[in-house]
Amino acid sequence: MTPGLMSAASGNRIPPSPDFERMRADRTARVREVMREQGLDAIVLLGNTNVSYATGAIWPLADAGRVNFEQPVAVVLADDESPHLFSPIRSDERLRAGIPNDHLHGPAHLDFDEGVEIFLSRLADFVPGTATVAIDEWTHALRRSGSLIGEVPKDAGKVISKAKLIKTPDEVSAMREALRITEQAIGEVQKRLAPGVRQTELTATFLRTIFDAGADANILDPIWQIMPDRIEDGPWTTTGGLACPLLTTEREVVKGDVLWVDMGISYGGFQSDFGRTWIVGDEPSAVQRAQFEKWRAIMAAVLGKLRAGATCADLTAAAIEVAGGGKPWMDHFYLGHGLGIDSAEMPFVGSDIGPEFDASYVLEAGMLLVLEPIVWENGQCGYRSEEVLLITEDGWEPMTDYPYDPF
Amino acid sequence: MTTEILPDDAALRAARRERVLAQMEAAGIDILITGREANARYIAGVPRLWLNGSRPFGPGCIYVRETGDIHLVQTWDEGVPPDIPHEHLHGITFNGANTVKMLQGVHGADAARTVATDGLMPSTARLIRTAYPNAELVDGEQLLREVRRIKLPEEIDAIRVAIGIAERALAAAEQAFAVGVTGRQLTGVFMEAMAEEGITTPTTQDVARISSRTEAWANVSRDTAIAADDLVSFDAGVLAGGYIGEVGRTRCLNGLASAAGSLLDTWDELWDRLVNACRAGAPATDLLDAYDASGLPAPPTPVARGLGHGNDLPLVSHALPKTAAEQKLEAGMVLALTGYVWQEGVGAVYGQEPVLITDSGPTLLSANPFREARS
Repeated sequence: MTPGLMSAASGNRIPPSPDFERMRADRTARVREVMREQGLDAIVLLGNTNVSYATGAIWPLADAGRVNFEQPVAVVLADDESPHLFSPIRSDERLRAGIPNDHLHGPAHLDFDEGVEIFLSRLADFVPGTATVAIDEWTHALRRSGSLIGEVPKDAGKVISKAKLIKTPDEVSAMREALRITEQAIGEVQKRLAPGVRQTELTATFLRTIFDAGADANILDPIWQIMPDRIEDGPWTTTGGLACPLLTTEREVVKGDVLWVDMGISYGGFQSDFGRTWIVGDEPSAVQRAQFEKWRAIMAAVLGKLRAGATCADLTAAAIEVAGGGKPWMDHFYLGHGLGIDSAEMPFVGSDIGPEFDASYVLEAGMLLVLEPIVWENGQCGYRSEEVLLITEDGWEPMTDYPYDPF
Repeated sequence: MTTEILPDDAALRAARRERVLAQMEAAGIDILITGREANARYIAGVPRLWLNGSRPFGPGCIYVRETGDIHLVQTWDEGVPPDIPHEHLHGITFNGANTVKMLQGVHGADAARTVATDGLMPSTARLIRTAYPNAELVDGEQLLREVRRIKLPEEIDAIRVAIGIAERALAAAEQAFAVGVTGRQLTGVFMEAMAEEGITTPTTQDVARISSRTEAWANVSRDTAIAADDLVSFDAGVLAGGYIGEVGRTRCLNGLASAAGSLLDTWDELWDRLVNACRAGAPATDLLDAYDASGLPAPPTPVARGLGHGNDLPLVSHALPKTAAEQKLEAGMVLALTGYVWQEGVGAVYGQEPVLITDSGPTLLSANPFREARS
């Protein structure tokens, strides 16, 4: 069995456990600093993960359909070190996140005109009418009210996007815990993997174990895609490329199936990401092993370029060179993406934003990157895995330690 | 046993689309753009990857009134019905310019005068205005809430299926309910049982919570070991076939009646008033009045909300009294009806039932309703 990346870890630059109190204070300071840079007096946040980032509030995220009756809303002021939180949920102390009582408010129903009216009247108590306000998501009821944000609202999402890019050591530590929980659950799933097991049964084991291991929530319907040998044997795609990730059903896996697995959980306001290739009830063939070695060579080449100061294009060029000229990633995705409060966030490496963007985007120490190259030989299937890396001044640190079994 | 990803039933798809088109016609909307997954599913009938939590608004499904064309952001055709041709599928994009191209490429884009969306972001509002510079931008979420308010018989069947799965997974969590286990662990048991039933998409992942004895509407940390006399609120919800089924219960290892005492009688009294208020034609405010009539404080969460896709009407909450006053209960609505009472030193008794409003009265859609299962 090939060990995971942690065998390459160089030292203990990451705290063994996160200090959530310090993390919250650091983040609020960072958000307010970016607000001042962008000339904003107040930001209103509706997006679940943005609210969590700006306030430190943690709650088990729910299906998007529940949003209009239980969506927490945050308001951050440039001149107030405590954020305001509007929420119907009182839940446990992690939701309150040390927010003082006079900054905790009832629910905000911003899909409804009456909800907006009530929200704005409360806001008037602490946000002056002359303040420059931005918002991350804009409902039609807010737009109709014409208040606060005008006809062309400023984008508060940009504040959080900028603030969250560079992870603090506490954030990296929490992220590693999210990844550890994921890997613990995956270990249990892999024990259950055998011919005759249903895809949904793998999900069952995964979901049970993540909660036992401390996850706050599952964030993506886990993928256990049974890969075809040829692209043409799978669904038609807009790109002519591979259809992936396809949804899980109660289909049984059989001996020799090649599974591409992909999943993620949330812990402490962070989202994990995990990807591997498994073979059901069998050892890899010589062809499969060669595909894995090729994948390792691509990963090694990219990691050889990965450091603060490199551009996204440096990474894509290294991957393409080893792959022999073609892009070794899925056309509709990317070679890599950022990870943190969202399961895919900036920077995107090799996406359809385009080569100019990749060439201009300079990576910085403290960014987290998921690299997910693929090797595909049409007619003989392929190999895909993901690795999560912390970018450092002199290179990178591994964030994950899962072996490549059965490779 | 589902081993293939299939589109929603053809007749159901057709019935839903007919309703949406009728509302678009009535409101003079040329193009409807949905970003919310439940709305995209309602129109297109295509199962797509489930992600937890709210998502920033982005065009996911486009419905054109004049042609009936549906465009979907979906990179492959698995689960896509033949009435959405390949040329109307659009690959996932991270580039706003490609989104504008997609929006402008829709047949009828040039002539569009009124474009509705079910959400907005500052950035996407700009993209939509770039794509349709001459069109007025209006509220599509309001329109779709109206469309989805009264459920078709097939939709009620689908909700029943989802409720059944939620109840069976809940039964597994209740089996594991014991002194010393935690709410987080019981959530894991629920999720495992749900997936063993073949459904992998929960609507809530906070399945068991010890209610606080010192504060209303508050819960003890998820990692606290459950004690024999704790009142524990259970919330079970799943999304199956695009429809949501949810139920809520309170359990106590020492026996609910002995631990909750008179608080349970208070809940029963409240519940009778709530169920009696579920009459077709009655004002939704009757549900709010049930709390007042029982001498109970107004809860911060809705007393009733529509069940089906999430974001359903009616939304009946003390937090939105004018909105409640504007709504009437109607036959064909399915409510998630909630009773909550709390007492210092005791905790909370909480129950939530899926209730179908019919012309002959309310019908509880769960197999083991909280109140009835106790008597």
